[in-house]
Amino acid sequence: MFLSVYHTFYYSSLFICAVVSLSMIKGLSPSFRWLAVLVVLTLVVEVGAKYVAYCFDTSNSAVYHVFTPIEFLFYTLIYALLVDDSKWIKVFWFCWFTLVVSEVINTLYVQPLGVSNTNIMMMESVMLVFFSLVLFLKIKESMEYENLLIESVFWFNSIILVYYASNILIWGFHSIKIYNLTDPPTLIYDVNLMLSGILYLVFSFAIFLNYKSSSNN
Amino acid sequence: MENTSINSSDIIVFMIAGFILIGLMFGFILYFLLSYKSKKKDYNLLVFQKKEIDKQQKALQQTLYELKATQAQLIQSEKMANLGELTAGIAHEIQNPLNFVNNFAEVSIELLGEMKEELDGGKTENTQEIMKDVISNLDKIKHHGKRADAIVKGMLQHSRISNGNAELTDINALCDEYLRLSYHGLRAKDKSFNASLNTGFDPTIPQIKIVPQDIGRVVLNLLTNAFYAVNQRAKLNEEGYKPTVGIKSRLIKDKVEITVTDNGNGIPADVVEHIFQPFFTTKPTGEGTGLGLSLSFDIITKGHQGKLTVDTDIGQGSVFKISLPVT
Repeated sequence: MFLSVYHTFYYSSLFICAVVSLSMIKGLSPSFRWLAVLVVLTLVVEVGAKYVAYCFDTSNSAVYHVFTPIEFLFYTLIYALLVDDSKWIKVFWFCWFTLVVSEVINTLYVQPLGVSNTNIMMMESVMLVFFSLVLFLKIKESMEYENLLIESVFWFNSIILVYYASNILIWGFHSIKIYNLTDPPTLIYDVNLMLSGILYLVFSFAIFLNYKSSSNN
Repeated sequence: MENTSINSSDIIVFMIAGFILIGLMFGFILYFLLSYKSKKKDYNLLVFQKKEIDKQQKALQQTLYELKATQAQLIQSEKMANLGELTAGIAHEIQNPLNFVNNFAEVSIELLGEMKEELDGGKTENTQEIMKDVISNLDKIKHHGKRADAIVKGMLQHSRISNGNAELTDINALCDEYLRLSYHGLRAKDKSFNASLNTGFDPTIPQIKIVPQDIGRVVLNLLTNAFYAVNQRAKLNEEGYKPTVGIKSRLIKDKVEITVTDNGNGIPADVVEHIFQPFFTTKPTGEGTGLGLSLSFDIITKGHQGKLTVDTDIGQGSVFKISLPVT
C-alpha cells in the first residue's frame, strides 16, 4: 500500500499528529480544536483514498475535489477564530465561498473528477498564504505574546506560510494548465509528501504547545 | 491536450525555485520574529511606563484628595480661630446689655417694693409715677435683651458654614460690628492694650449684595492684623506713639471701598509680595495659620469679583483696601 519512504514519512507524521490531536483535543483552545478535527479527518480521508485507489485500481482525484473545499472550510474557521477581527473574518468567508464556486466551475469545465484539482489546490494555497500573512499582521498589532517561539499560533501560522507557499510552486509545476504536463515527475510528489510530513509534525508540536498553555491557564 | 515530457532542466528550475521560495518564507518568518521581539521590548517598556504613570496618577489623585480635605480642615480651623478672636469681644458686648438688664431689673424690684408699701399704707398718689418708671425700666430691659440676642445671633451666623448665598447687607453696620468685636476681643486678652479707633462710614452707601459671613470674615481678618501690627509696635515703647486703627467706607461710582488702616511698623517689601499666598505668615508658630489673607483674597476676588490691595510704608503703617461692586 505504501510505495516509498516519502509516503511512509508522510503517513507516519499524519498518524502521529492525529494521535496527538485526539489525545489532547479536550484541552485545546477552540481554534486548535478545529485543527485537531481537521487532522483526524485528513488521516481518515487520506487512508480511505489510498485504500480505494489500491483496492479498485482507480484514480482517487475525486476525493480531493470534495475534500479541498472542506479542508479550506476548516482553515477558514481556524483563522476566523485566531484573527478575531470582523472585517478580516468577512474577507476569509468570502475567500471560502469563492473557492467553492471555483471548485464547481473547475470540475465542470477544466479539471474533471478523474483529474487532480491542482488549480483549486493552488488557489487554496494562495488564499492560505494570504490568511497567514493577515494573522502575522494581527499578531504584530496585538503584541499579545511575550515569546513567540513558545506560542502555538506562531508555529501553526509559520508552517502554513511555508507549506502553502511551496504548494503554490508544486501545484504550479503540476498543473497541466501551466506546464502542459500530463505525466509530472515523481519528484514533485515526493517533495510534496516531504513537506506535508513536516507540516503535520509542526502541527503536532503546535497542538502540544497549545494544550500546554491552555492547561496552564 | 499536449503531451510534454519532463527534462532535467525543468527539475533544476523547480528545485531552485523551491529553495528560493522556502528560503524567502523562512527569511520572512525570521525577520518577523526579530522585529516582533524588538517591538515587544519597546511595547513592554511603554506598558511599564504607562503603569508607572497610572500609579503616579493614582497617588497624585489621592494626594489631591487629601490636600483638599486638609484645606477644608484648615479653612474650618481658620474660621474657628476667627471665632476665637471674637469670643472675648462678644463676651464684652454681651456683658454691657446684661449689666443694663441686671441694673434695670434691680431698680424695678425696688420700685415695685416701694409701690407695694405705698399701696399697703393706703397711699395712691405716687403709684402712677412708680408704675411709669417700672414700665420704662422694663422697656429698657427688653431693648438690651434684644441687643444681647442680636449679638448671639451674629456670633452664630459667623460660625455657621457659609451657604454662599449673597444677600443685601448694610456694609457700614457690618464693619462697625466687627471693629468693636475685634477690639474688645484683643482688649479682653491683653488689658494693657489700648488703641484709638478711627471710623468714617459713608452714609450714602446702599445695601449691597454680598455673602455677609464671608465679608465679615475678611473685615475681621484685616482688623485683627491691624490690631496685631499696632500692638507689636506699641510693645517697642516708642515715645509719643499712639496706636491707631481705622476703618472707613466710601462709595466711588459703582463700587464700595472699605479701607482698614493701621499705624503699625508696616510690611517689608520682601514680605508684602507673599502676604496673599496660602500658609505665609510672619506670626510666631501657633499664632497664625497663614491662611487669613489668602482666604480673604479669594473671598474678595473670586467670591465677590472685587479687589483687595495693600499699600504699606515701613514705619508708617499699612492700608488695606477692599473694593466691592455695588451691583
